[in-house]
Amino acid sequence: MTVFLFQLKLALLTPRSVHVWVTAPLFGLVFLAVTEHAGRPDLAGHAVVAPTLIALWTLALQSAGEIITDERDNGTLEGLVAAPVPVVAVVFLRMLAATVCAVPAFAEVWLLSGVLFGRWVAVPHPALLAAALLVTAFTTATTAAVLSPLFVLLPSARIVQNTISYPFYLLGGVVVPVAVFPDWLEVISRITFLSWSSDLLRAALSPAPVTAGPLRLGVIALLGVLAAVLAAVLFGRVLDRVRSSGTLAHT
Amino acid sequence: MNAFWIVRSSAANALADLKVVYTWRTWTFGLLVRMLAQVAFFSLIGVVVGADAEGMRFLVIGNAIMTCVIESMMVVASSSWERFAGTLPLLVAAPARLLWVFVGRSLQWPVSGSVTSLVSLLVIGPMLGAQLPWWRVPLLAVLVVLTAFSVYCVGVALGAVVLAASSLRNIVSNAAYLLMMAGCGVVVPTSFWPSWVGNVTSAIPLTHGLAAVRGLYEAQLSSAVLVNAGLAAATGALWLVAAHVLLRAFVRLGRSTGSVSFT
Repeated sequence: MTVFLFQLKLALLTPRSVHVWVTAPLFGLVFLAVTEHAGRPDLAGHAVVAPTLIALWTLALQSAGEIITDERDNGTLEGLVAAPVPVVAVVFLRMLAATVCAVPAFAEVWLLSGVLFGRWVAVPHPALLAAALLVTAFTTATTAAVLSPLFVLLPSARIVQNTISYPFYLLGGVVVPVAVFPDWLEVISRITFLSWSSDLLRAALSPAPVTAGPLRLGVIALLGVLAAVLAAVLFGRVLDRVRSSGTLAHT
Repeated sequence: MNAFWIVRSSAANALADLKVVYTWRTWTFGLLVRMLAQVAFFSLIGVVVGADAEGMRFLVIGNAIMTCVIESMMVVASSSWERFAGTLPLLVAAPARLLWVFVGRSLQWPVSGSVTSLVSLLVIGPMLGAQLPWWRVPLLAVLVVLTAFSVYCVGVALGAVVLAASSLRNIVSNAAYLLMMAGCGVVVPTSFWPSWVGNVTSAIPLTHGLAAVRGLYEAQLSSAVLVNAGLAAATGALWLVAAHVLLRAFVRLGRSTGSVSFT
C-alpha cells in the first residue's frame, strides 16, 4: 500500500499524468468530430471509450519505461533490487498506481461529449462500466509491465515504447470493433486484452443487455494475471543476468 | 555569421541527434511502422461511421499528412533538450541569432516527417481509395515538404514558449498537434466548426498545406492549389517571425532575472 500511495502521489505531482488528462479530451474531440460530422451520434460511446483506452495504455507504457529509468537516474535502482521486497512487486504496484491516474480520462471525455456536442452518453450499465474500467486498468498495468524488464536491459527501449502504441490500438479494436476484422486477424486480436476491454466498455454504454458480462470481465482479469506472471518471470531472468554480469547500473 | 551557416551548423546537431535516436532499421520498423499504423487507425474510423469512398479518401489524406505534422511538432520537445544539455546559457551568450540556431536544431523532424507522410500517402492512400497519377507525385512531394516545414515554424515558436517551462514540452507538443488534427481539416472539413474556429485555424499552415494536397488529388495543379501552397508558406513565415519575437523575449527575461538555466 505504501508503494501504491507513493506512486500515486508522485504521479499526481508530475506532468506525466496530467499529460493524458490534457490529451484524452483532445482525442475525444477528434473522434466526436468524426462521428458528429458523419451524422452518427449513436457512436458517441465509441468516441468516449477510445480516448480512455488510449490514456490508460499511454500512461502504463510510459510508466513501464520511466519507473526503471528514473530509479537508475536517481541511483536507487541497486537499492531497490537489494531490498527484501521483490522488485517486481514494487514495479507492479507503482505501475498500477500510475495507470489508475488515467481512469478519470473517461469522465473528462464523457463531459466533453455532453458539454461541447450535447451528446450526454447514457450509462445503462454503471456497475459493469466501473468494473470494466478498473479491471482494464489492472490488466493494462500488468501487460505494460511485461516490457519493464526490457528497460532494465536497454535504456534505449523507448523506441519500442513509441512503436507499439498504434499497432496495439488497431489490433485491440479501440475504434474499429474486432468483429469487423478478417477471421484470422480477429483470432490474433482476441489474445490482446484490449479487444475484450474495448468491446465490454462499449457494451456497458449500449442500452442493449450485456451478454456474459462477468465472464468477459474474467477474461480481461485472466489476461492481466497471465501478463503479470510473464512479467515476473522475465523480470527474474533479467535481474539474474544483470546481477551476475554486474551491469545493473550501467545497462 | 549569416543565417545559412548558423542553420547548417545547427542542423549538424539535428543529424547527430537523429543518428543517436534511430538507426535505419529502427526508423523503418519503429517510427515508420508506428506512423503507418496511426494513419490506418484514424482512417479506419471511416469504416465505423460508414463513410463512403469520398469520406474514406478524405480521412486517409488528412491522416497521412498528419504524420509530418506530428513529427515536425517534436521540435517543441527537442528545443528543450538544449536546456538539459546545459548549452542554453552558451547559446544565449553567443553572438549568433537564437532563431536560426533553433531552426537548424531540429530539422531532422520535418525531413523525417515528410518521408513518413509521403510513404503513408503512397502506400496506405491507394488501399483506402486515395489514388494519384504517378506524374503528380513530384508535386505531391513538394507540397508535403512545404507543409512539414511550415508547420515546423509553428513548432519552433511553441518551442520558444516551452523553453521557459520545459516540463510542459510533451504536453504542449501533443496538445498542439491534436488541436490541429481536430480543427485544420484533417478528420472533418474546417466548415464543420463554427466560423471563429475557422478564423483561428486559417493562421495555421497545416490548414492551407492540406487544402493544397487535397486540391492536387482532385485535379491537376490548379490556381487553388498554388494559392493554398502560398498561404501555407506565408503563414509559416509569420510563425517564424513569432518564434523570433518569442525567443528574444525569452532571452531578455532570462538575462534580466538570471533564469536562463533555471526556468
